[in-house]
Amino acid sequence: MAEAMLRASGLTAGYPGRRVLFGVDLEVRTGEVVALLGANGSGKSTLLNVLSGFVRPTGGSIRFGRAELAGAPPHRIFRHGIVQVSQARDLFPEMTTEENLRLGAIVRKGPIERLEAKVLARFPSLAEKRRHPVALLSGGEQQMVAIGRALMARPRLLLLDEPSGGLAPRLVRAIAAIIGALKAEGVTMVIVEQNITLALAVADHVLVLRDGRVAERHEPGNGADAEKIVRAIYL
Amino acid sequence: MLPQLLVSGVANGMLYALIALSMTLVYRATTVLNFGHGDMAMAGAYAGLVFLGFGLPFVVAVPLALLLLFVLGFLVQRFLLRRIMQGPHLALATMALAVGYALRGVARLRWGNQVLNLPRPYPAGAFSIGSVVITTDAVVMCGSVLVLLGVLLLLFRASPLGRTIRAVFQTERGAALVGINVPLLHGMMWGAGAALGAAGGILLAMVVPLTPDMGEWVLVRGFAAMTLGGFGSLPGAVVGGVLLGVAEEVLGFYLNTVFINITAYVVTILVLMVRPRGLFGRRALIRV
Ligand SMILES: Nc1ncnc2c1ncn2[C@@H]1O[C@H](COP(=O)(O)OP(=O)(O)OP(=O)(O)O)[C@@H](O)[C@H]1O
Ligand SMILES: [Mg+2]
Repeated sequence: MAEAMLRASGLTAGYPGRRVLFGVDLEVRTGEVVALLGANGSGKSTLLNVLSGFVRPTGGSIRFGRAELAGAPPHRIFRHGIVQVSQARDLFPEMTTEENLRLGAIVRKGPIERLEAKVLARFPSLAEKRRHPVALLSGGEQQMVAIGRALMARPRLLLLDEPSGGLAPRLVRAIAAIIGALKAEGVTMVIVEQNITLALAVADHVLVLRDGRVAERHEPGNGADAEKIVRAIYL
Repeated sequence: MLPQLLVSGVANGMLYALIALSMTLVYRATTVLNFGHGDMAMAGAYAGLVFLGFGLPFVVAVPLALLLLFVLGFLVQRFLLRRIMQGPHLALATMALAVGYALRGVARLRWGNQVLNLPRPYPAGAFSIGSVVITTDAVVMCGSVLVLLGVLLLLFRASPLGRTIRAVFQTERGAALVGINVPLLHGMMWGAGAALGAAGGILLAMVVPLTPDMGEWVLVRGFAAMTLGGFGSLPGAVVGGVLLGVAEEVLGFYLNTVFINITAYVVTILVLMVRPRGLFGRRALIRV
């Protein structure tokens, strides 16, 4: 079995006056998809933000390759190849689709035309909206721009926070297809999802967070069924 | 008479535009209104004076002064503001004010009771076009500011650094998500703001006496120009500055000379009452 790309252990984190994560362990191997499930407020986004540096962990370690990333600022972690699509998307609202995508590669050197064409090819519906300010796009299109912007950085590890959140079923399927395609190409991902079907369809490992702890671990391939996971999350 | 007033008004207005623009850069990047900005402009002028006093030529002394103020602005952000960046805005505004007072205090200690001038590196004089008299001061003022504005525009529109800055202006979190070192950029914008303010201070000190209290005068006009143009708008800062300069001259001549000194206050009050978002602003209100 491949060596773990990311190995986080004993992560604790929180916000002023509030502890949220209480010792989370997480491993991701190259090419794998790990899904984080859990009820609202269980700490999924916090965990992802700790991995990307937006929330400083109060304890624990994050080994990424040979580097120790716990406590490093977001721009340093980004340079290691960990790229996040946040729950709020955080696009540049007054800029166009194209400008948003290009900014995804702002810290890279060298030409990006081929990369941009490749990324745009994944999202056919964005092609005709290249020159539209993203504030005027639909929620689904904005989510695609957010994912596209992250791909422009050529992530070694992609963190997706509820990519299907708030989208209509048709768009959820579109996003699911894109994530499936990325996985097929070998993109390593950690995905936070409320949509259990989507998560189970792509995940190699499923972690259920409850009150800031990993309550259960499943491997969908080995017959873990959705019902059991739903119970673990909500009961 | 009006053409003459327009010429002098535009020349002063270009200076206000530069001041307002430098305050806006800092404000947009870090959402902090630098109440010490006028004092940084003053410090820049004294720095120029000191470097000239070392016998350095003007073309060396001025860039050195700007560089010094860049470093000062950067350090203020890095060591005084960064750790309280997440805190209440009032704390940030107060810190900026305190830095300004500190600079003023140092200047008073050293140059308190002297009236100095930065010697012009060009001959003071004037020429006339028809009945309009144009001073070389006005030409230098307009020319310098236009060159700076051109360089800034180019940098902003057509360089990776400009795109980085615009990204941070729109969303800091989004900028951090694409790998931009946002805290470093904050420091650089404070540095750039201070350096541009210093350029304004130097231009000003060549035409009016240099005193430690000059900052007040600068701040009030920068603030008025920003308010008039629309708080946070870069083109607004420039247009607001020029309009303010013209208004001072025109009102000062046709109404009463006191308007040369109070127009900035009157404009600020009127705009905030009648149209808080100014000419180009989008948000109606600022919170300090
Ligand atoms: N910036 C913040 N400041 C203070 N508390 C926060 C902050 N962000 C999250 N929290 C709190 O931390 C807890 C965990 O939040 P988190 O966003 O990690 O949960 P989540 O599992 O992603 O939830 P959701 O499914 O609603 O996105 C919640 O109780 C939340 O209120
Ligand atoms: Mg969340």
